[in-house]
Amino acid sequence: MNVAVPIPALSVRALRAGYPGGGDIVRGISVDLAPETILAVIGPNGSGKSSFVKTLAGLLRSREGSIEVTGKEVTNLSPARRVRAGLAYVPQEANVFRNLTIAENLKLAVEFLRGRSGVGPAQEAEVLAMFPEIARQPKVLAGNLSGGQRQMLAFACALVSNPEVLLLDEPTAGLSPKFVEETMQAVLRVRDAGVTVLLVEQNVAAALRFADEVMVLVAGRKSCHVAPSVLSGADLTDLFFGGASA
Amino acid sequence: MVGQLIVDGLATGLLLALPSLALTVVFGILKFPNFAIGATLTLGAYAAWVANTFLQLPLFAAGAVAALVVAAVCVLSDMLVFARLRDAGSIVLLVASMGLSLVLENICRFSFGNATRNFDVAIERPIRWHGLRISHEQLTSAVTVVVCVVLVQLVIYGSPLGRAMRATADNPTLAAVRGVERETIVRITWVLAGALLAIAGVLAGLDRAVDPLLGWSYQIPAFAAAILGGLGSPFGAVVGALVIGLAEELSVLVLPTNYRQAVSFAIILVLLLMRTQGLLGAKAVRR
Amino acid sequence: MIAYLSTLVVLVSIGVLVGLALNFQWGVAGLVNFGVVGFVALGAYAVALLGPHVGWFAAMLCAAVISAAVSTILAFLSIRLADDYLAIVTIGFGEVVGILLLNEDWLTGGALGIANIPRPFVSLVSAAHYDAVLLGFALALVALTFVTLEILVRSPFGRALRAVREDPIVAGALGKPVLRLRIGAFAVGGAVMGLAGALHAFYLTYIDPGQFTSITTAYAFMAVILGGRGSNTGLLIGAGSIMTLLEATRFLKDALGVVDGAQLAALRLGLVGIGIILLLILRPQGLFAEPRKRVRDFFPDDDVAADRPAAAALSARAWDADSPVPSFQHRESEVSSRESQV
Repeated sequence: MNVAVPIPALSVRALRAGYPGGGDIVRGISVDLAPETILAVIGPNGSGKSSFVKTLAGLLRSREGSIEVTGKEVTNLSPARRVRAGLAYVPQEANVFRNLTIAENLKLAVEFLRGRSGVGPAQEAEVLAMFPEIARQPKVLAGNLSGGQRQMLAFACALVSNPEVLLLDEPTAGLSPKFVEETMQAVLRVRDAGVTVLLVEQNVAAALRFADEVMVLVAGRKSCHVAPSVLSGADLTDLFFGGASA
Repeated sequence: MVGQLIVDGLATGLLLALPSLALTVVFGILKFPNFAIGATLTLGAYAAWVANTFLQLPLFAAGAVAALVVAAVCVLSDMLVFARLRDAGSIVLLVASMGLSLVLENICRFSFGNATRNFDVAIERPIRWHGLRISHEQLTSAVTVVVCVVLVQLVIYGSPLGRAMRATADNPTLAAVRGVERETIVRITWVLAGALLAIAGVLAGLDRAVDPLLGWSYQIPAFAAAILGGLGSPFGAVVGALVIGLAEELSVLVLPTNYRQAVSFAIILVLLLMRTQGLLGAKAVRR
Repeated sequence: MIAYLSTLVVLVSIGVLVGLALNFQWGVAGLVNFGVVGFVALGAYAVALLGPHVGWFAAMLCAAVISAAVSTILAFLSIRLADDYLAIVTIGFGEVVGILLLNEDWLTGGALGIANIPRPFVSLVSAAHYDAVLLGFALALVALTFVTLEILVRSPFGRALRAVREDPIVAGALGKPVLRLRIGAFAVGGAVMGLAGALHAFYLTYIDPGQFTSITTAYAFMAVILGGRGSNTGLLIGAGSIMTLLEATRFLKDALGVVDGAQLAALRLGLVGIGIILLLILRPQGLFAEPRKRVRDFFPDDDVAADRPAAAALSARAWDADSPVPSFQHRESEVSSRESQV
């Protein structure tokens, strides 16, 4: 049956990357993300999940392979250029500017996005509507916010750039269960608003509950890429600790 | 007369605010203490002197020319030296800046010798106000510095560029993923530092005279001022400079005048021992 | 001929001594000392003031002791400071020493300085042969210092220092007294700088504050960078060659009529500056770099089993592979790990 294949929101081909002077940590990963999908990347400690997402964001230079965002090649672009191409990133830690106020954080997030469509007051208002607590206190220094509030601000700053693809590095790390739930709900809303989300998650339960697709990384390689319902507890134990690769 | 000392102290402090600002801005964004501050100031003084003496430019224009020249030199130094050591750690950068200091100072010495030079300006009588003596140089200095400082503060705290600079200082990788090109901000920082140091060079040359060691005499007080205000805080640098200027002038009440430089050093030492954050900055103690 | 050679060797020896001292403080212990010239001046003035009263040998020992003592005090006050701040404090110290020397003329003779400094072994030989004696003395001093420092570097003290330099957190967790070690290293370096000052005084027999400028500090840093931080042999060879080159050019003034004295001085200083920059960019590890070691490698005999969980956790934190890139500390490890792979 002929089905028209939409351009993947994110297309990664044979990506290799590592830290200067060291070996490959990302060892040839290929994956496609359809638009408006949530992909959770899970895997044991040291499997290279964080490095993978950093490579996508441009913080780690790739050695081989390609990355495309809605068909546009971004492999050799600096992180700043990737944001303008529609790829937003929320790091795990240090994801807001502590010495700037909330308002300044948000202003900065849109000021240097020459050429990015859809950025503007309307988009900002939409995003702030999702995070009312942040909107309420623009003059507070980001460093004085609680962990959960900083997380929301970090989200908001990434979203005001009107991204096609949003990369999240362990968004629920260190959050209480209530906040984990809230954060994941926010991620769902973001997807429903048309954004494709790739998130790295240690919290496998949350990942499996909310994600549309799951990719397991083991030792820098893609072990499998399936729907969450397909994976059982036994499968996961195998994949995480058995060293099997597809 | 304490009143006169305070006037002189404010004048000294204001002049010091410019190199102190330059130092703190470079530290905040490039993460290392720049030991070439003094030599850069000297270079600015000589550049203005050449423009003033050989090109017959009035001091204001000569200063502008100097600012352009020094800004260019700073950007060039970054491209040739600091960019290649960008992630080498602050000690390497620090030692490299010491090397650069030697180069800049001795380019001046080679070209102009050790003799002192003076700007070609009309000599005017000091202003007398309520029994205090304020020279025209001090007034020019003060006005120039205040204008510069206000402009810089407005830019840093109220403009997109300033936000980008503060963000880069806070977290360069995060700034990158928010659309701020780090290298652009770095170059702009050098231009700013260079311009400030050139202007300071002109004012210092007015105050004393131009010789190869002119900038060096401001180096330690500038460090003291920046540390006092908290390395990385532009506002703190200015406040720190005023305090150091006043302290140096008022110190003659208790110390022989030759020990003024020692005052700055003593302040640094006391500060770092007791209150390592300065007024408004980051911690200095290592674990 | 002998006179010329003697001058050259003595000047180079002074430079090498200062380089060895800084190598111990910075190369081995990781402490940035921008006030080198202040300690050298202390040693010179100690010899100048005490020599006529107690003889050259005792004066030389005093020079080392006094300089070590002052180093200890300064270190005690500032050793907790991060590297950047230590650099600033030491540079201030250098300046203050200069100010004191210039102004406390009741003690130091102010700008006029002190003359008639006694020389080693001067009564044993005729004036005609003294140059050779001084040459031999300088070489002997350097050799003795080199051997002593090498022994120290290879001793448990030296190993502990290098461990603290690599990772003070882990070293502290393994029970090494970090602050005391650093103060000790600073004092040792200070003592050698005092000896260098003594040699300077012996050579010139007349000292004044103008002889002690920041170029001494710059020379020292260049020597240490060239020789490879931490390696005494490297410093000897590298610094020795550069010092020889630079000091030999001091005499070119007569040969090069085209530039005058001030310009030649400026050229030499400028070249030192360029040299420092080029070395840092092109060959930051110097001629003879230390291979990169981990803290555990310094203490094979220590029982780290009991400490392992804590130390390992700390190590993991320090060498976290997932830390953000680019990181400011990575460059040195990048270079060193490439070294160790060769």
